[in-house]
Amino acid sequence: MLSRVAENLYWMGRYLERAENTARFINSMTQVRLDLPRSASFGWDVLLKVAGLDHLYAERYPEQQVIDEDSIIPFLIEEPDNPSSILACIHNARENARTVREVLPMDLWERINSLYLYIRDNADRARIGRGPRNELLQGVIGRRESIIGLLTGSMSEDVAYQFIKLGRNLERADMTTRIIDVNSAVRLPRDPALAAVTVERMWLSTLNALSALQMYRRHVGVHVRGNDVVNYLLKDPHFPRTVLHCMAEIEGCLSVLPEHKEAMKKVRQCWRRVERMVVDDLKPTVLHEYLDQVQSDLGEIHNAVSRQYFHRHQQAAEQ
Amino acid sequence: MPTRKSLQGAGTFAALHFSMSVKLHNYPQPEVFDELLDTQLKPRPAARVLFEYLDRLGAPELVARRESVDAAIMAMGITFTVYSDAGNIDRAWPFDIIPRTLSSKEWARIDAGLKQRLTALNLFIDDLYNGQQVVKDGVFPLEVLEGSKNFREQCMGMTPRFGVWSHICGTDLVRDSDGTVYVLEDNLRVPSGVSYMLENRQLMKRLFPELFKASDILPVDDYPAQLYDTLAALSPRPGDRPVIVVLTPGIYNSAYFEHSYLAQKMGAILVEGSDLVVQADDCVYMKTISGQRRVDVIYRRIDDDFIDPEAFRPDSALGVKGLMRAWRAGKVGIANAPGSGVADDKVVYTFVPKLIKYYLDQDAILPNVPSWMCMVEDQCDHVLANLDKLVVKPANESGGYGMLIGPRASAEERRKFAELIRANPRNYMAQPTLSISTAPTLIGDKLAPRHLDLRPFVLQSDKLYATTGGLTRVALREGSLVVNSSQGGGSKDTWIVDTHEEDA
Repeated sequence: MLSRVAENLYWMGRYLERAENTARFINSMTQVRLDLPRSASFGWDVLLKVAGLDHLYAERYPEQQVIDEDSIIPFLIEEPDNPSSILACIHNARENARTVREVLPMDLWERINSLYLYIRDNADRARIGRGPRNELLQGVIGRRESIIGLLTGSMSEDVAYQFIKLGRNLERADMTTRIIDVNSAVRLPRDPALAAVTVERMWLSTLNALSALQMYRRHVGVHVRGNDVVNYLLKDPHFPRTVLHCMAEIEGCLSVLPEHKEAMKKVRQCWRRVERMVVDDLKPTVLHEYLDQVQSDLGEIHNAVSRQYFHRHQQAAEQ
Repeated sequence: MPTRKSLQGAGTFAALHFSMSVKLHNYPQPEVFDELLDTQLKPRPAARVLFEYLDRLGAPELVARRESVDAAIMAMGITFTVYSDAGNIDRAWPFDIIPRTLSSKEWARIDAGLKQRLTALNLFIDDLYNGQQVVKDGVFPLEVLEGSKNFREQCMGMTPRFGVWSHICGTDLVRDSDGTVYVLEDNLRVPSGVSYMLENRQLMKRLFPELFKASDILPVDDYPAQLYDTLAALSPRPGDRPVIVVLTPGIYNSAYFEHSYLAQKMGAILVEGSDLVVQADDCVYMKTISGQRRVDVIYRRIDDDFIDPEAFRPDSALGVKGLMRAWRAGKVGIANAPGSGVADDKVVYTFVPKLIKYYLDQDAILPNVPSWMCMVEDQCDHVLANLDKLVVKPANESGGYGMLIGPRASAEERRKFAELIRANPRNYMAQPTLSISTAPTLIGDKLAPRHLDLRPFVLQSDKLYATTGGLTRVALREGSLVVNSSQGGGSKDTWIVDTHEEDA
């Protein structure tokens, strides 16, 4: 497999995952704001922080005083200058897919193309109101799921497949840590009873954003408690969006690829960190630091994969 | 869906509806040769199946199908790229759902003519880069060779496998009012369009599956396998399964869709220049995730000028440094071979019938459009005196650039062009404006005549192959003769129909 093709497949996987995750995240945050007690709140700018886009936003709109729903949501959904907006992600995924069409099942390109046409032609509907916005985002999620279905149902699990899966799982693990981290940004009401309700709502929404609520209830319990949720979303080996599950998937991908020693080492490092993490009575600030570390572990996995597979020839040329 | 039901009644009504439907759509009396209808507006034998079907379908259903074709084109992402200031725009491939038909009997003659032509052209190119016997024998003037922009010194003394230089040729054909099919030009460098030929058929099958069920429309889809065989034959390591790559300039190239499409269909690897490297052993390698892997054959879709900065344009970032060295050392097959563009020249074109005679001792099966060479003095005088009636073309351009369509140009444009010709007569040739044939095309909800051409693709390595039909390009604007997709042209599916007739 060509290094360039591998890299494009990897990014295609990442971008599609990012688009879907952003859609889920926006929907779930919209929902939770409706459910929170009036004295509890979080600003819409939290969404930017979680996505790691606050600096980009500030650069893009330096004049802006009030960061509200109407300004943030279009930025996250359709802003072309935001490389992580849903539209940009899908556009990039499509451009990546276009350069590697010959290794993908033919229908896959058609699906990605039609996902792109869908978001391109409908993105502005998100500005009409929350109802159409929800519909639009559900449309993105559903179409993305059909793409995954097509991939798993009609593509050989060859090297090309492994790179897509690798990108998907790395992005997924990253987003899971970011979504858990939202909770540290919420201002709690002074009234302890209200605070407890708020905390529960927030964790519930975290599970929702990752489509994990139902499985959490089945496998952990009916009560949504912070520590249990964090434990579940980081360490559960069976739910497909937990960090450890993603690590296992990534390890599986790497084991099929040649010369994977360095990247594998980084996966194990991340794996160990998550496994050893003790999340009983964790202070939000400590949790935040933990999650930061996991994110930088994920970054190192990415770097190792890039060095080994995508940019190995550049290094050779420089030597 | 009315189609299935009405199929049963087909036999009874078909004959009756023939002429009616055409009348129904107010199809004008053809002023030129119409590919599908005779002068009485009756379908020609090869078009009968089609018209029977169209009549059963009815105009509203036809329009409805066209709309689903447009949706299918968008969904399949069959696009071509138009580069503009506003970024790259993917335009949907403009497609007309009324196919162009030819009888298999007529096609057999064209097929033979195409193969004859490419065989002679390859002998000619090989001769030019070796003994130049054709010049010594006085058949081809030295001054034409010397004026050729596409003659490559770097190729002198090379003989690629089988002596074949142009392995993939796109030959443009047009039909004049008397029914004669002429060769308009030979594209011997990097001809494109074959993917649209294949996709057009796919579209038609998707939209009109019932048509192809039991009919005499010959299939077109063996092209990728034939192309693969043609390329595989060029491998310097015969015996092993060759590593074949399609070398593309990248996604910003207007034909990128085709590059990717062909790679996919052949199971070849689509590469860009930066994916390849020539090592000290003169072999070409591609950069893979597990190191470098040797490449045997390159189907390059990049012009000579850009394929190797070491041999040609040093500023090219699209090519591969040292590629010519590898090719000359026989370590890699390249299709089309560098330098094959020398025969892809509008002035060389005028010599082709003579070249066929010279190399094959045969008369050309397919005639050239009568042409005047400006380098010959009295012919040049004729051209300058008749600029308002002629089409004048520069020798080394393609895609319709830099030409003058006399009857449509202003006096001022003609005056300026005359200066160009006088300044460099070698660079120009002229042809009469042909009355190019038309075919019914769905415009709105009516059939209307539109001008068209045909580009078959011919392959040569150890064997010869021509596509069954080719890409029919149609000028969608009324009266227009410009078929290029970037300038309002579209395309049609091309049917070679077995009419089971002695004289079709």
